[in-house]
Amino acid sequence: MVDLIPRPDRYQDEAPDLDSVNGLIQARIDGVISRRQLIRRAAALAIAAPVVGVMLHVTSDMANGAPSQGRTNVLRRLAQNGATVPADAPTAPDGEPKQGGSVTVGTIDEPDTLNPYLTQLVGGSDLTTGIMDTLMRYDSTQTLIPALAESFEISDDGLTYNFTLREGVTFHNGDAFGPQDVIDTWKMIMNEEFAAFTTVGWDKITDITSPDDRTVVMETSEVFAPFLAYVATENGSVISPASELAIGPEKFKTEFGRQRLIGTGPMKFVEWTPKQQVVLEKFADYWGEPAKLDQVIIRFIPDDSTQLVQLRTGEIQMAVGAGSLSALRVDEALGIDGVTVLEHPSPGWSHLDLKHVFFLRHPLVRQALDFATPSQDIIDKLLKGRAIRSIADQQPGTWAFNPNIEGRPFDIEQAKALLAEAGLTQNADGNWEGKVPTEDPLVLDGEVRTFEMELWGISGDAQQQQMIQVIEQAWNQAGIKTTANFQDISTLWGPEGYQWVPDTMTACLYSWYNGNDPDDLAYWHSSQIPDSPTGSGYNAIAYFHEFNFQEEIDKLTEQAAAETDQESRKEIYWQIQELLHEQVPVIFIYWGKSFPVVRDNIGGFWPSAFNRMLWNVQDWYLV
Amino acid sequence: MLRYVARRVLESIPLLLGIAVLSFIFMQLAPGGPDALFARNGRMSAEQLAAIRRSMGLDRPPHEQLLAWITNIFQGDLGVSYSQFRPVSHVIAEVFPNTVILMAAGLLISLVSALVFGILAARRPYGIFDNVTSFLSYFGLAMPVFWFGLMLQLLFAVRLGWLPSAGMYSPDGGSTQDLLRHLTLPALTIAIGSIAGWSRYVRSSTLEQLSQDYVRSARSKGLTERRVMTGHVLRNSLIPLVTVVGIDVPLYLTGAVLTETVFSWPGMGRLFYDALTVRDYPVLMGILVLGAALIIIGNLIADLVYGLLDPRITYE
Repeated sequence: MVDLIPRPDRYQDEAPDLDSVNGLIQARIDGVISRRQLIRRAAALAIAAPVVGVMLHVTSDMANGAPSQGRTNVLRRLAQNGATVPADAPTAPDGEPKQGGSVTVGTIDEPDTLNPYLTQLVGGSDLTTGIMDTLMRYDSTQTLIPALAESFEISDDGLTYNFTLREGVTFHNGDAFGPQDVIDTWKMIMNEEFAAFTTVGWDKITDITSPDDRTVVMETSEVFAPFLAYVATENGSVISPASELAIGPEKFKTEFGRQRLIGTGPMKFVEWTPKQQVVLEKFADYWGEPAKLDQVIIRFIPDDSTQLVQLRTGEIQMAVGAGSLSALRVDEALGIDGVTVLEHPSPGWSHLDLKHVFFLRHPLVRQALDFATPSQDIIDKLLKGRAIRSIADQQPGTWAFNPNIEGRPFDIEQAKALLAEAGLTQNADGNWEGKVPTEDPLVLDGEVRTFEMELWGISGDAQQQQMIQVIEQAWNQAGIKTTANFQDISTLWGPEGYQWVPDTMTACLYSWYNGNDPDDLAYWHSSQIPDSPTGSGYNAIAYFHEFNFQEEIDKLTEQAAAETDQESRKEIYWQIQELLHEQVPVIFIYWGKSFPVVRDNIGGFWPSAFNRMLWNVQDWYLV
Repeated sequence: MLRYVARRVLESIPLLLGIAVLSFIFMQLAPGGPDALFARNGRMSAEQLAAIRRSMGLDRPPHEQLLAWITNIFQGDLGVSYSQFRPVSHVIAEVFPNTVILMAAGLLISLVSALVFGILAARRPYGIFDNVTSFLSYFGLAMPVFWFGLMLQLLFAVRLGWLPSAGMYSPDGGSTQDLLRHLTLPALTIAIGSIAGWSRYVRSSTLEQLSQDYVRSARSKGLTERRVMTGHVLRNSLIPLVTVVGIDVPLYLTGAVLTETVFSWPGMGRLFYDALTVRDYPVLMGILVLGAALIIIGNLIADLVYGLLDPRITYE
């Protein structure tokens, strides 16, 4: 059984157990063997490669004390801007920590529902993470730590997961926590009538059994490296009490998460006054160290100017989680006395998606667009340096990130040269035109068109609007006739949006948010292309034509997701990033940052890209 | 009189029905739908999407949905919210009282101020007071509501610290005093636009009254100016104002979005806007129908009050 708490002294004078899957995992967690040794030993034991992948995924590079140079350096670089403080440790104000007290958090969006399996908004999972628990979770250094499961075991064939549950855990309603809660949670998530927002990971489980009242055994249908990440740590994988799940999907949908929310977390749900606030209170029988604060109140303040006003007057003491500030408002907040503006990388990557039709099917044309996009200027001038240049889809500072790729500089001449190389010509007005490809994306042999781009953005977002205008200007300068358009999100990405119109070349500015696992199959794989404007799938840019490099990216993402070895997995992700940089399926612009603001007398607060607002609320205190 | 009221009520039913149908049609025509938001989540399978659409009733043809909705309205069932999975009537009932409170306070301040400013301005037309109030009225009409709200916030909440900046209650509050403190700034903000408009109205209708013969008679009878004003002129000047107020006030109920956003007031305006951004059709249609019903009622009340104030008007 693998114990998640690293303890090198566990072995005393004995040698670690290097003869079994779980022994190797334990030894790696304890830091007594290196990754290389683990792989060597596993090979010697003839453990199947997919299983080795699972083993190394659990003992990720960030986990268990292995320092990553990449992360610290990135954070240091981030800290260069003004007086924002990088959030690489919990806040620690001077003074004696007090017992008790109440903190009011101000956030912008009210959750749609607090039902963790239904909420589509970050604001929902911000709150549920303080009230309910998963089997394990990530701390702010992306280290896996125990929660409701104290330890786990993986079978040699990588298909069976065995969890030892923590003892003496009670739900807020007094129920004792046990294996039945896990089993019933799985059943509700997979229940079609309930229609959970996501079932990834849980849908690989064929059966869950419980040989005794501390053990849960999950049988899965295939080796899936991110299984633990999805099932044991995702916000939508918290465990609900069986007594609540028993009321049936209809009632569970309407009552759980609105009238009440019962979990095992350090805070319990008291009430939700619609459009006003949610009140949480300390749960005295929490399985860990009980919270120091008595109460946390989350107020909904739809206008961000009002949010700053309330920080100023002290009516709220924190603007964090989904209510953190955007880059544009940091300067204002820096001017408020008695608060600290923290910063940390956000897992959101802002990009221009490109519809792969006509000229956009040709890689040189897409590279040309990349050269014609002033990404660094946007970061430096519009965002005041408060963002990081993005070259692909893995976040800088995470273990899968490839640091060896340089972003393309802003170079109109180079863009023009590439367009010419692709076979387009400039007409008398300076606009590019040429024959569009028919069968082969690299052969321009069809009818003649002018190179016209529709540039789309989400309306009502001032920051986006400025960016779009800058890009529009630059592309027009390069001879690509570009017009900017704005629409609200629902229409933009709905069935009547730009994505499904076959005869326009379009680009749209928005952000995707990564989870804790580098698995990016959903973004690029051909199986993720929606089959209709109302179908599901992230890969809408390939709706009309698959990528010219589709086969290659399909193979690489499948390899990386299914059968990987952390070292080899990393190598595959590096290859994917190189491919993405070379082929430019979308134009990568920047990785955002989040700017949570807290009053100077609040300690223990430690935000990061790897967890949600209340993940360590039990550690918060006032001085 | 009662027959008149009954007739008006009966007349309004087809009107409401027409509005319900029209709002349903507009919502269906608007691009994008609630399940578009779900579809964007690449992790959802086609079966799950179908299940969600089924549970929302979206898989039935539009005319069936319309019929179901109309019959339900007459039973008081406004449908189920798409984003909150509970009855629309509950969703609206939660925020409706808050809007009523804000509206009542705003109305009180507006009426009293508009009357005072309007009448005082009319007593000495083109005098200093009149010119100053005219200028302030135009200013009040031209200034955006949210700017005004923010300015009030900065002055009274940040600079002076006399009043809370936003919200309806303090996090731990609930007393009437707490409510009144929170109510002051948003009610003032809502009132400004109305005061500006209504005071001009009162001024011109008062001026018109003051040039009437009966005023000259009253003065020559020896009544004090004050008695002339309060006893006679006031009542007659009110008449046109009643019509205007009767139309304006129901609009507060759904239209105070900007004020409610700036002051985080949990009202119907915010509900409407929030439902709009997530395409929560049942809530939107419920608010539209409710708003229409309230405007119809408001007009009816305005007409009745008008009849009370002006004895020349009778209803049968």
